[in-house]
Amino acid sequence: MQLDIDKMLVKIKNSQWALADIDWDAPGRERVTENVEQYAKLKVFMADLMWIEHVGARAFAAMAKKAPNDTLAEIYRYFHAEEQRHANVEMALMKRWGMLEGDHDNPILPEPNINLRLVIDWLDTYSDEMPLEVLGSVIPSLEIALDGALCKFLLDTVQDPVCHAAFEKINDDESRHLGVGFHVLEMMGYGKTYQLAVRTAGTLLNPKLLIGIAAYLPLLNRMRDNLVKLGLKEERLYEAMNKYKKIGGRTEQGRRNPWFQIISRQSAMVVDRKSLYHVPVDALVRLTDYYPRRWLKATPTWVKGLTWKTAA
Amino acid sequence: MTQYQDEAPVAGRRSRRAADPVAAKVVEVLIVGAGFAGLGAAIRLRAAGITDVAIVERGSEVGGTWRDNQYPGAACDIPSNLYSFSFAQNPEWTRGYSGSREILEYIRGLARDNDLLPLIRFQHNVEALSFDGGKGLWTVTLSGRDPIIARSVVMAQGPLSNAGLPNMRGIESFKGKMIHSARWDHSYDFTGKRVAVIGTGASAVQIIPELVKIADKVKVFQRTPGWVLPRLDFQSPEWTKALFKKLPFSQTAVREAMYWVHESMALGMIWNTPMTRALELLGNRFREAQVKDAWLRRQLTPDFKIGCKRVLMTNDYYPALQQPNCELISWPIANLSEQGIRSVEGIEHQVDCIVFATGFEVSKNGTPFPVHGLGGRDLNAEWSRGAQAYKSVQVSGYPNLYFTFGPNSGPGHNSALVYMESQIDYIVRSVGQVAGGQLKYVDVRADAQKKYNEGIQKRLAKTNWNSGCKSWYLSDDGFNSTMYPGFATQFARQMASFELRDYRLV
Ligand SMILES: Cc1cc2nc3c(=O)[nH]c(=O)nc-3n(C[C@H](O)[C@H](O)[C@H](O)COP(=O)(O)OP(=O)(O)OC[C@H]3O[C@@H](n4cnc5c(N)ncnc54)[C@H](O)[C@@H]3O)c2cc1C
Ligand SMILES: [Fe+2]
Ligand SMILES: [Fe+2]
Repeated sequence: MQLDIDKMLVKIKNSQWALADIDWDAPGRERVTENVEQYAKLKVFMADLMWIEHVGARAFAAMAKKAPNDTLAEIYRYFHAEEQRHANVEMALMKRWGMLEGDHDNPILPEPNINLRLVIDWLDTYSDEMPLEVLGSVIPSLEIALDGALCKFLLDTVQDPVCHAAFEKINDDESRHLGVGFHVLEMMGYGKTYQLAVRTAGTLLNPKLLIGIAAYLPLLNRMRDNLVKLGLKEERLYEAMNKYKKIGGRTEQGRRNPWFQIISRQSAMVVDRKSLYHVPVDALVRLTDYYPRRWLKATPTWVKGLTWKTAA
Repeated sequence: MTQYQDEAPVAGRRSRRAADPVAAKVVEVLIVGAGFAGLGAAIRLRAAGITDVAIVERGSEVGGTWRDNQYPGAACDIPSNLYSFSFAQNPEWTRGYSGSREILEYIRGLARDNDLLPLIRFQHNVEALSFDGGKGLWTVTLSGRDPIIARSVVMAQGPLSNAGLPNMRGIESFKGKMIHSARWDHSYDFTGKRVAVIGTGASAVQIIPELVKIADKVKVFQRTPGWVLPRLDFQSPEWTKALFKKLPFSQTAVREAMYWVHESMALGMIWNTPMTRALELLGNRFREAQVKDAWLRRQLTPDFKIGCKRVLMTNDYYPALQQPNCELISWPIANLSEQGIRSVEGIEHQVDCIVFATGFEVSKNGTPFPVHGLGGRDLNAEWSRGAQAYKSVQVSGYPNLYFTFGPNSGPGHNSALVYMESQIDYIVRSVGQVAGGQLKYVDVRADAQKKYNEGIQKRLAKTNWNSGCKSWYLSDDGFNSTMYPGFATQFARQMASFELRDYRLV
């Protein structure tokens, strides 16, 4: 199934919305704030979610530079901004629920955990140099997890109608992200198999990518465990990963994209807690806890663009 | 710079209007537009002895581009010594790159000193042109006025003279002030205002540093960042002014030197050569030196080859963006709302005023007004798939009609006026053929035009403009009928030869 990306771009432009479209003062706040048991865990979850969207935004910015044509580049520019919008919305929800620290009118951004910091560092330093295949294959797997597992879970857990209204809009965007994501996944499977394989092997040996993997895997594991702690059923993650495998592999081209193969295998292992995969990766998670903060670069300024305000 | 290979008779005959009562109402040459091109054409026609010239201008003043573009910071980006006519050099330029007002003064001076004002009919807006092949005459239709009959017509209505607010979503709902860069509202006081500037092209980079000085807050909405190179601007010292006045050839020498500096830029800007890389390196270094923050630098880094779009020459744009009251926004714009601009990251940027530095409507396909030639043929229709002309100035089937800035005459690296002068001189020679009425008309042969364009398109294919970047130089389907693929010197040489065999004389 080929997607008409020109039509998709028009559709994207026709489907824009803003934070101001949501009534942030509508009743229902107390359904979260008065749920003591859930509140603290939700606070951690929301911060993680916000950062994941934000990190995803930055990945789209890198992909825009690598897009093979102008239309796709423009679509990625939009997706970059849309992911930022999702992060802004999630920050606004946190604000609504009083989850932001600091001054009431001037709250501070939640602190990203060390694994997020490492991924932010890597994205800031190397993502622009990565070939489209890498991010173009990872992103749909993350989006499907986000869309299929995290967001559904959130809506099952949280009863605030404002949250539901916001996520209806976010999910709408995400369906377009997924459409384009899988289209590109397939697009990258064109070409001779051995050439794809050789190119992939070459990229995999790139130390810059290896650093990225070393930052990314522990983040996934930490997130996964946080989610399960919060009550996310592991089946949900399985379902999401199967969906990635099914949609990504529905065509010959899709299956021939070596990155698709790598990622669907790797995500199957992430989901399966009994897999041996977790031995080294858990070790990495523990190691990162000891990562000296002074080795981190200064927070890049793109991180400071996040806001909960509807107007500036 | 201009060198004639004398094959064709140069214009020199006087028109003999009085002899024929019907022709008494016929204007020998009618010029549309009183900008640089229209006035320059009138001066050169008269110098060649063709005196029955009329200029119709829709505005009420001369100057064209420089009458309209009076936004703060407006200036030329080719040195004034080169951005002026070689036959009317000005020793008094106060700066290397003069401001809009000074250029306008210079154009007014051209009109005054050459006694052109009596020729100009202001507030005459041309609506259509149509040719009568039997009589060999053009009918010039005007808005709300009687038509004018002319033997030859020069379309000098300007490549960038139609400015309008862009067709953006929600533009009708915005309640604040809206200003287009080419229609500046000098009565609006920006002091203490929150301002959005849409666009980051040649006009925007001049406006922004000025607005940042007075406005409370300036938000710059960028779609694609362009290449920025440093500009060597300076105040002209008194001694050069004195020298240029006393020894005009010294100014000519400076002009020549500047001409060759710009010509050499063509090597990097028009074609992809090691010089392209050198210029890009310079651009990258300049950005690194001027922009401290890595992310801002990334936002400002162009992703197309230098020369593919107009290079921005400015020293104060990057510093202005980094002022505390200025912010660069590279999120796409979703729509305008009552109070400001909503960009795709979901935030409404509330402002008092929006400045549109969004450029001009360029007729890449089609003509600015209907033009009907021999047998009623319609130039707009013929050009709908990309405009074509012979040597940029004439089109087969439209006799005695001339263009300044016609198809494929645009310079990317040198002064527009250098190109304009060689077009004008060519036009003067061709007009000379029919002036006086011995010949009914001269028409370019279709095969000559075809051959010329095949050559042009073949050469364009190798240029940076056609290297895959989108710009206003290209039509929506990627056809380049705007730029001339070569040096100004090549263009001048092509225009200096007049090939009679390429014409049909009737
Ligand atoms: C902001 C800006 C900066 C520029 N800077 C440079 C530079 O530094 N170097 C450079 O080489 N080039 C520059 N240019 C390009 C510039 O357009 C040309 O150099 C030159 O001024 C064009 O002159 P013109 O006479 O062809 O057109 P214009 O100056 O546009 O004059 C055309 C005239 O025709 C009139 N007209 C239009 N349509 C009609 C009609 N239907 N009926 C009657 N009259 C009509 C208009 O009112 C106008 O007065 C710049 C352009 C702009 C907009
Ligand atoms: Fe998202
Ligand atoms: Fe997404």
